Amino acid sequence: MSGPPFVFLLLFFVAPSVIMVLASFRYPGEFGGLAPLFADTQTLHGLTVETYEFFFSDIIYGYVFLKSIFVALATTLICLLLAYPLALLIARSPKKSRDLMVLLVVLPFASNFLVRVYAWMIILGPQAAFSQAVNGVLALFGMEPVHLLFSPFAVLVGMVYVHLPFMVLPLYTNLEKHDPALLDAAQDLGANVWHRFWRVTFPLSLPGIFSGSALVFIPVLGMFAIPDILGGTGDMLIGNLIKEQFLGTRDWPFGSTLSIMLTVTVLLIVWLTTRLAGRGRHYA
Amino acid sequence: MKDICHREHRVHRECSRAAGSSGFLCDLCALCGLWFVLSFVPAQATDTLHLYNWNNYISDATVARFEVECNCRVVQDYYSDNEEMLAKLAAGASGYDLIVPTGNAMESLIRQRALRPLDKSLLPKLGSIEPAYMNTVFDPGNRYSVPYAYTLTLIGYNDAKMRELQLPVDSWAVIFEPHYLEKLKGRVTVLDSQRELLAAALKYLGYSANDTNEEHWKQARDLIIRAKPYWAAFNASSYIKELTVGNIWLVLGYSNDIFQADLDAQKAQRGFRILASIPKEGAVLALDSMVLHKSGPRPDLAHRFIDFMLDGRNSSELTNLIGSGNPNRAARQYIQPEIAQSPAVFPDKAQQVRLEMLRDLDRHQRRVLSRIWTEIKLK
Repeated sequence: MSGPPFVFLLLFFVAPSVIMVLASFRYPGEFGGLAPLFADTQTLHGLTVETYEFFFSDIIYGYVFLKSIFVALATTLICLLLAYPLALLIARSPKKSRDLMVLLVVLPFASNFLVRVYAWMIILGPQAAFSQAVNGVLALFGMEPVHLLFSPFAVLVGMVYVHLPFMVLPLYTNLEKHDPALLDAAQDLGANVWHRFWRVTFPLSLPGIFSGSALVFIPVLGMFAIPDILGGTGDMLIGNLIKEQFLGTRDWPFGSTLSIMLTVTVLLIVWLTTRLAGRGRHYA
Repeated sequence: MKDICHREHRVHRECSRAAGSSGFLCDLCALCGLWFVLSFVPAQATDTLHLYNWNNYISDATVARFEVECNCRVVQDYYSDNEEMLAKLAAGASGYDLIVPTGNAMESLIRQRALRPLDKSLLPKLGSIEPAYMNTVFDPGNRYSVPYAYTLTLIGYNDAKMRELQLPVDSWAVIFEPHYLEKLKGRVTVLDSQRELLAAALKYLGYSANDTNEEHWKQARDLIIRAKPYWAAFNASSYIKELTVGNIWLVLGYSNDIFQADLDAQKAQRGFRILASIPKEGAVLALDSMVLHKSGPRPDLAHRFIDFMLDGRNSSELTNLIGSGNPNRAARQYIQPEIAQSPAVFPDKAQQVRLEMLRDLDRHQRRVLSRIWTEIKLK
């Protein structure tokens, strides 16, 4: 690794991480921020591991992590299930309409992401046609009406909606490159539709699946705006917890500790998936 | 779109508290405001007052009148919560003559020695401020601050629905007690603020809003966890809209947000009113005061502005605009009668006694509270 990518990593990954690591070993300042490293007047200064003790002494933070990972996994899986057929459809369309379809996938980015999330507030609100239709169907089966907004369901909808294009695009880029001759060959050798997909297309698309999954999983793991806006009383994820440490609680060291734990978790997961992906490719 | 808010930029004293408008919209408004100010001011006016204020926290008419009176320009910058303002100042922002922080943020500024003491000989109308709002714990003797306006954290409710369900609105019980909440499941929101919610629970349990006894905090936590299944959300911004359209019937919210919801509901002819009530157990009052920042180049203009805002008519315009509480006795006669009758604007003596201002927590307490809050959110 050398040249610009190295500088990029150094500037935008290593340097901020080092700052965060250092901050995590400091005491919180009285009015927020960090307590000074050297001081005569204040009792608390210098370095400490108290934030790490605080983190590991309490199972609740591990639980927040697990919950966030679960939400991120669910989002990734749903995105994959929704995006795969779409990406396949685009990739197999005539070249002319492909560009238009890709443009349509990207089009939502033209409006601010928060505005789009707020739009879901209206769609899921109790007086919206969607909610009333859902509750109408539930009533047919004699079930209680449900509140769609301010629920884990709403959070999941928001997460999937916002991150879907990040799954579609890498999948499409991958699927588009497949040689149609491979499928013809498989057909000539007697493979039916299902076999052609499962034995040819799917294994070849694994790199696309992995990069798409990473692009969805990682941002979802740190997301705080969507649970804030669409979530109910129990939808706190790790992103919300970190945000709160820096703003409301004004506890930068603990916020840094949580961020480092999140970074470590992400790196671990990326390492695991690349290993799995390597094995997958080998198998294919 | 009023309720669209950059929630990530907001904590403790939410942006909606001052206006209920959004981060990016606020920026837009700030730009428009700047443009407005720049384009309407006579070219020869060179004196400039730099005011760092909550967004939507002064009437345009008031600003225009001051500019004529002092033959100067007022340049405003805006913030949507105290943390944002403190962070910006801590990062070295300077040149602000006047800031309007809430009590605990002001205390922190005083202790950081960031403020300039007032010259009271330049403030002849200081006596018109209600004594109850002078001499607070944050600034004993008002060496640095003059009260500007205040917000209460109280119960806001859909009048028609609460009557129909025959629920009491004079006690925090309706927010916390399951036997009332059963009728309101999914129709209640509470502020997404650790301090405000804890304060309400502590008040209901009969403690001070500033109680820092961890045992009492745990009791408050249990009370909140017991009530939580009936609440729709912890919400700091969109509850204004939800109240207006009738999705939410009961909130623990800020007085000027509730005022805004009522205005909107009337404008849309919803057929119900959104009213506010101070619970009999007491509530939190957030007093915002005008203070002089040391970095401001024009303390003379700043004093003139404070004196100008002490005038009843000028002070009343903000209350008429956003329904904020008004500490200025001289303002009363200029305030629209209906607003003046609201207990959230002029609480009477008996109600004043039950109001408390939140003090800052120390770093250890903040960490403990955050831990409790995480537990509340996950249960």
